[in-house]
Amino acid sequence: MPERIRRRSLTDTALWVWGAVVFVFLFLPIAVIVLYSFNNGRLLASFDELGVQAYVSGLQNDVIIASVMTSLKAATGTALLATVLGTFGGIALARATKGAKWPVLLTALLALTLVTPEVVDGIAMLPWFVTLGVDAGLTPFNNGLFRLVIAHTAFSTAIVTFIIRARMAGIDSSLEEAAEDLGATKWRSFRDVTLPLAGPGILAGALMAFTLSLDNTILSSFVQQPGYTPWPVYIFSAVRVALRPEVAAISTAMLVLTLLALALVGLVLKRSGNSSSQIVKTMAGS
Amino acid sequence: MTSRFRKFLGDSALSFPTWAYMLFFFALPVALVMWYSFGFKPDQFTTHSMEQLSLGRYREVVSPTFLSVFTATLRISIVGTLACLVIAVPFAYWLAVKVPPGRRGLLLALVLVPFWTNFLVRTLGWQIILSPDGFVSEALQGIGLLGSPLDILYSRAAVQIGVIYNYLPLMILPLFVAMDSAGVQLREASADLGAGKWRTFFQVTLPLATPGVVSGCLLVFIPLTGDYITASVLGGANGTMIGQLVANQFQNAQNWALGSAMAVVLMLFTLAVVVVTALLALVVKAIIRYVGRVELPTGQHAGTDAGTAADLPEGSRVRQAEPAVSGTTTGGPHA
Amino acid sequence: MKARKATGTADIRLLAPTILSRELSRRSLFAGTAVVGLLGLAGCGGDRAMASSPAPNGKIENNVNLYSWGDYDPPESISSFTAATGATVQVDSFGSNEELISKLAATRGTSGYDVVVPTGLMIPQMAEHGLLQPLQKELIPNFTNMDPNFTDQVWDPGNKYTICKAWGTTGYVYDTYTITRPMASWQDFLEAAMGEASGRTALLEDPWEVCSIALGAAGEDLNTTDEEKLDACERVLLDNLAPHVRAYFGAASTGMVQGGLALLQSYNGDARQGMLEMDDPEQWKFVYPTPSANLWMDNWAIATGAPHPDAAHALINHMLSPEVAFEQMDYIGYPVGTKGLEERAEEEGVELPELIFPAQDVLDRLTPSEMNEAQQRRVEIFSSAQARSGA
Repeated sequence: MPERIRRRSLTDTALWVWGAVVFVFLFLPIAVIVLYSFNNGRLLASFDELGVQAYVSGLQNDVIIASVMTSLKAATGTALLATVLGTFGGIALARATKGAKWPVLLTALLALTLVTPEVVDGIAMLPWFVTLGVDAGLTPFNNGLFRLVIAHTAFSTAIVTFIIRARMAGIDSSLEEAAEDLGATKWRSFRDVTLPLAGPGILAGALMAFTLSLDNTILSSFVQQPGYTPWPVYIFSAVRVALRPEVAAISTAMLVLTLLALALVGLVLKRSGNSSSQIVKTMAGS
Repeated sequence: MTSRFRKFLGDSALSFPTWAYMLFFFALPVALVMWYSFGFKPDQFTTHSMEQLSLGRYREVVSPTFLSVFTATLRISIVGTLACLVIAVPFAYWLAVKVPPGRRGLLLALVLVPFWTNFLVRTLGWQIILSPDGFVSEALQGIGLLGSPLDILYSRAAVQIGVIYNYLPLMILPLFVAMDSAGVQLREASADLGAGKWRTFFQVTLPLATPGVVSGCLLVFIPLTGDYITASVLGGANGTMIGQLVANQFQNAQNWALGSAMAVVLMLFTLAVVVVTALLALVVKAIIRYVGRVELPTGQHAGTDAGTAADLPEGSRVRQAEPAVSGTTTGGPHA
Repeated sequence: MKARKATGTADIRLLAPTILSRELSRRSLFAGTAVVGLLGLAGCGGDRAMASSPAPNGKIENNVNLYSWGDYDPPESISSFTAATGATVQVDSFGSNEELISKLAATRGTSGYDVVVPTGLMIPQMAEHGLLQPLQKELIPNFTNMDPNFTDQVWDPGNKYTICKAWGTTGYVYDTYTITRPMASWQDFLEAAMGEASGRTALLEDPWEVCSIALGAAGEDLNTTDEEKLDACERVLLDNLAPHVRAYFGAASTGMVQGGLALLQSYNGDARQGMLEMDDPEQWKFVYPTPSANLWMDNWAIATGAPHPDAAHALINHMLSPEVAFEQMDYIGYPVGTKGLEERAEEEGVELPELIFPAQDVLDRLTPSEMNEAQQRRVEIFSSAQARSGA
């Protein structure tokens, strides 16, 4: 018996050590970037002297600020559009009659967007946008920001839909039925009962769409235009030339802002009475 | 009139915007890519021509040079997925079982911090770490572990490290969710019935986490196979991945026909892996159900996963396959 | 685009067909056949209509987008332009002419770029395919500062579409601690790449340049269209060189700074830029290889559909002013084609002048690259070489 206790604590110790090691691994490059953002040198990779020069010049660089703004605008647009589409899709899927064919087809179509490598999305969408914009004269398609929102929405809608469907699948439809029995119209029961029920799922979906859009590089690099260069694409083209510490500085600033925003969302969820790991899971879309 | 209309549409009306959008902005353009792959590139300044349709581009795709990159990519993605799995299983188990519930939320949020940090920026962090003139290299030389500067950057090893790092959170998350949902009650029951910790882990926790393992593997494998950002930043010429070749056909060689054929092959391949994985998962689940029948009420909070543990009627087959897909909610095509 | 008259009228002629085609497709859209028609167009790839280019109206816009080679413009020249005109400049970079052309061709006038910097050999076809718009020289008064040796080139008679941005040649730079023997030719490059510098060699991201290594080593004409010679070139590149190559760069200076490489194919000015970044300039040496190498000229041009035409012309004009031209040369390490540069460089004692101005005997043996029917073949060889390096 004593042997048993010792062995158990040994595996436990190993697990705790492993947990710590994985955390170090996960944070190593982030720590490096944060550290190097305080590099006053000319190039990011060769650390010169400690200072906040990179933050000062980064915030004064119009092109950098414009690209961060483009990313934020595109992410907001994507979050709105994808959430609307995903909410309709997700609720419809969750409330579909058993045995209907269309939910299977829609699920397959959405799943297909998830298994399509992003580079394929990029090469498919650019000529399509050009065709729509130039040949069909639908001039919004010649606008870089519009292209980004449309493209990002196309690949995040599936995720939002699945999040919301998962949320709705866990909720009995009897509440909506009750509302209708009590005389509410379809629309009212949808607005007053279904939507609030789907609330946490919608929030999680919007958050996920926002994050995915903000982080997207491959697809964006195909459809972007100068003047509407999102931040990751700006970094990607800087990689090929010369990386300046400004990139690390602005990224660090963005990380801090992201974490603050997420903390805020977490707070909202907490006030609606969720447990802490439930909140994180909701925010991660699980 | 309205009622006939409703009858015709069934209850799918609500999903129409989603349908329309996905067909117009996804299915249609991707179908065009497939169509281009049967064409050819007539001259330097024309990207493709559809005057003669042939399978010629597909023959070019299976040429030895491209196949070798394809194999290299496959190796990177399989090793990457397995490494993520090996790292994540004990970690997720620790997080879901060993960490006191009060601190779990915070630690889980910490796991997600890399996920919320820009993908490229994280990769750049590795570029600095692995650089031959970087501080790691100098430190290792300083303590005498290395005789010459670190020689990893711009190699396949660097790409391997980079992808494992970049996709690890996508593996941890579904595993954590699955292990967390597997529930304390079942593990306690197993212990009460006399099973040791290891036995409980292998016979209760892990089987119940199968949906998490499956969706985690897919979540890592799919974007990893198509990724070329990590390879561009860390790989140089040696770590070339198939995504770079596809992009190159469009961005440099301007051969849309060949690029499309490569893209179609990549897509079919990814799809095939997903289907095979889903089938394997069903088989494994059937075996587990047959061998290690555990019929206990699993508690409401276990959600969809709970249903998979017990025998379910035929109609729920679709539901069972779902976690593989719906688990994708945590990330999907990333970067 | 056949118009070869005064720039003003040519501009109008260039615009007319694109506007017309847009009207037509608008109408077809209303006719309800839009989607079918679009599918047809996109499917056949037959229609190459370009978006229309807004004409300059004398008012400089708030931004201008420059698409150029990596690190090809001094930040000071950009900021002085912004200070003078109020227009913000966004600079994006490409690694090869092919990349530039793909972007412009694929987006058909909606790339969003105003000023682009193609290499001379690409210009005739780019103009023919409507990717460039004629310059309005009255908006570029500083054109008179150009040295006549660098205007009116074969690829663009009368500087209709372009003005010289910089000219230079190609060679290689090596780490003298790794490669200690004397290096002079492309043959030496091949041997070192397969020997001391194996796995630490980088090539340029350019099909013509990469092929010129093997063709140069074999003593062939660098512009050859001979099938057999190109086959031999392919064998040397794929079987001998490619397996030893670590990376392909648009600009070698990136690779020099990041470290770990010992032999890099490079343009002369990029090598100079990289060497100036180094702590130990003695470590690196640049070679103008025998028997021959590329003599190239990059050129300012304005893309079709450029959204900011006034700012675009103003930017080019700014770059041609004597002060900025000198600043350019000092930073990028290439002569920029304006008058009196070499004399001034001597007066002011710029660093490493021998890397900016190749000696006469070097100039005499260089070959200007041509765009010929074998270019497609070169692109294929290059793609296969890249794939082989990755295998």
